[in-house]
Amino acid sequence: MTAETLTVGKPRNPVRASGLRHLITPAAILIALTALYAWVGTLELDSIEQRSLNAAVILAKTVEHLRMTVIATALVVIIAIPLGIVASRAKNRLVTPLILTAGNLGQAVPCIGLLVLATFVLGVGFQTALVGLVAYAVLPVLRNTMVGLQQIDPALIEAARGMGMTKGQILRRVELKLAVPTILAGLRTALVLTVGVATLGAFVAAGGLGELIINGLKLNRLPVTIVGGVLTACIAFFIDWLGGLAENLLKPRGM
Amino acid sequence: MTFSEYVVSRWDTLSLAAVEHALVVALAIAIATAVGVGVGLLTYERPKARGASLTVSAGILTIPSLALLTLLIPITGLGWGSTLIALTAYAFLPIIRNTVTGLSGVDAATVEAGRGMGMGAVRLLLRLRLPLAWPLILTGVRISAQMLIGIAAIAAYVDGPGLGSQIFEGLSRLGSVNSLNATLAGTLGIVIIAVLFDAFFSAVRHLTTPRGLRVRP
Amino acid sequence: MFDRDPEGVRIELRALTKHYPGQPAPAVDNVNLVIPAGELVVFVGPSGCGKTTTMKMINRLVEPTSGEIRIGGQDVLSLHPDELRRHIGYAIQQVGLFPHQTVGQNIALVPKLLGWPADRIAARVEELLALVHLDPAMFRDRYPRQLSGGQQQRVGVARALAADPPVMLMDEPFGATDPITREHLQNEFVKLQKQLRKTIIFVTHDFEEAIKLGDRIAVLKDRSHIAQYDTPANILANPADDYVAGFIGQDATLKRLALLRVADVPQEEARPGRELPRIAADATLREALDLMVAHGTDRCGTPSGVLTYATLCAAVGSSAVAREEVVAGDR
Repeated sequence: MTAETLTVGKPRNPVRASGLRHLITPAAILIALTALYAWVGTLELDSIEQRSLNAAVILAKTVEHLRMTVIATALVVIIAIPLGIVASRAKNRLVTPLILTAGNLGQAVPCIGLLVLATFVLGVGFQTALVGLVAYAVLPVLRNTMVGLQQIDPALIEAARGMGMTKGQILRRVELKLAVPTILAGLRTALVLTVGVATLGAFVAAGGLGELIINGLKLNRLPVTIVGGVLTACIAFFIDWLGGLAENLLKPRGM
Repeated sequence: MTFSEYVVSRWDTLSLAAVEHALVVALAIAIATAVGVGVGLLTYERPKARGASLTVSAGILTIPSLALLTLLIPITGLGWGSTLIALTAYAFLPIIRNTVTGLSGVDAATVEAGRGMGMGAVRLLLRLRLPLAWPLILTGVRISAQMLIGIAAIAAYVDGPGLGSQIFEGLSRLGSVNSLNATLAGTLGIVIIAVLFDAFFSAVRHLTTPRGLRVRP
Repeated sequence: MFDRDPEGVRIELRALTKHYPGQPAPAVDNVNLVIPAGELVVFVGPSGCGKTTTMKMINRLVEPTSGEIRIGGQDVLSLHPDELRRHIGYAIQQVGLFPHQTVGQNIALVPKLLGWPADRIAARVEELLALVHLDPAMFRDRYPRQLSGGQQQRVGVARALAADPPVMLMDEPFGATDPITREHLQNEFVKLQKQLRKTIIFVTHDFEEAIKLGDRIAVLKDRSHIAQYDTPANILANPADDYVAGFIGQDATLKRLALLRVADVPQEEARPGRELPRIAADATLREALDLMVAHGTDRCGTPSGVLTYATLCAAVGSSAVAREEVVAGDR
């Protein structure tokens, strides 16, 4: 089981205390964005390119992209964490392996397929993209919640019971606290995944930076595609960095 | 046209796409396993190099697949080349991480016993560390394969091979008769490939895990 | 190499020092010690005193910073470390059996490294399993995870003995087992060593174990300085300093009695009366004392006569307490 949880995002090695290390990622992102800006500045943009590559459009697309990501992730938290808690309580021994296997195979279900299939039910648009994104990101969080709760040393729970704590108290004060690092790692993975998958939202007319990528390809304007790609990658790195900071801040002291 | 009629009438196209899908994933996995296990072997005892290889491969995985695929177009063009490169790059993290974890996770006392009996570094690696780390390494490869099967669908957008083309065909003809059929065929086909890969890895795992690691007390 | 003869050979440590870079003081500082051929010497001391480091320098799992190690007269530091280790038995507390290999394969490891022919290896595996009281037919093809802790320890000892090395290094090999199993393994091991006469260095922090197993004990303090190196009886009778006395604890005399057997001391040649409690010839004097106290008497019957309280006192060299007092007190 450890092996399988590894890639879904084990709490990564804590970034060492030196403040400088924390700044490497944002600095690299800043450099990449500056380089992109400078490079675009050297290009002579034709009218088609100008229509996509201007501050207003880029800002709008970025906001759309982030909105999609954040709302989808919030929904994932609301759905997956309670579900994970319930599943980890399940007396039925089949539940855990079933969810773990589904989690593995779920990675292979092509998100683009899910999105397009969703349009047959919901039509194109923002909600459709949300449904696809949530369906895709629920599994890693659900799985990490379960694994995080189940890998707690049974002796600790026994000690808590021995001290007279109720089941609810044990869950809130012991189990959930100790599972926080694993759950956070799952959330971080889901967030980064969602940033990437949100580019596919453009295929179902939900906007976002994917639109730049796709338009560039359709209109054979590579600079537009590249701007979309680099911006998405930068957002993904930035959110991963934020997630790392949050993991460090939120994990229980003493761990 | 019903779904089954669609599948029958397009059987040649579908099966070719499925074979290509499996092939490009298998190739990428083979390359990534050779390189990733090699990197793991070289770095598992050197904390700095190990950290660097994990950071880089985790960084690659952070890049959204549509972005990476499109960013490769100016370099390797449309089609197989870009697909193979992107897929291989994505496969590294699980493989390297599990290799390193597996090799360095071998019980220290067991290694010391081996050294104490006069086993040299190479023998310890081949006879002790690798057999004990093998199940974990294989799990890494398996996870990578599952991931790549899904990502490969997007590659069709940059003219890559595989069943993704069916999904994008469905998308481009939204509203037409066969739109749903194409999307469904692509998506289900990919899921079937994933199940087959998983069954394959289950079999390999069963056949190659040393019996002493499978027995229960 | 030094193992032409599987009987033990002499080990000499001269000015042996290990200084880890970046540490203010050496971990092992200038150890000089001669271990006679065929003897079992116990290194005993608190954790962190350097006893394990000292032992590991002998098979060069830890490379000495300076000093000399000779086994059977041969300079160990001139040999290839892997080659050297194949000729020294090594058993550790965590046992470290290879989980992916059967018990038989584990034991066969060193003989294979040494290039023994297959039939000789097979015969040796059988012999060793029988030696450590595990039925070869039952255990040879099992995997380590299918064994209990005590069984794993036995296999560990068998594996260390596999190539019949003249020298064995053992680092708390019975430490991880429960007290009953440990006692059992210790007793078996004492018998085994009587038969094999290997030169053994045995590391433990348990002084009782040291007394029980050691021909000699080296009591170590910080940085592996030798506080005292002598036979168990002499250390108990004359501890070199307060440190050693502290290590022995309050019941030194009882421990000394435990080292002596009824058959070792003179007995009154008389037919013991029916009312006297009986004790066997191979019981320890401590057991005899226990029996006397339990029965409120100062004598007990042995197969060859009568053992008295005064004899016990004489055996540990105390000026005999006025016998009458005890008797009066008892009656």
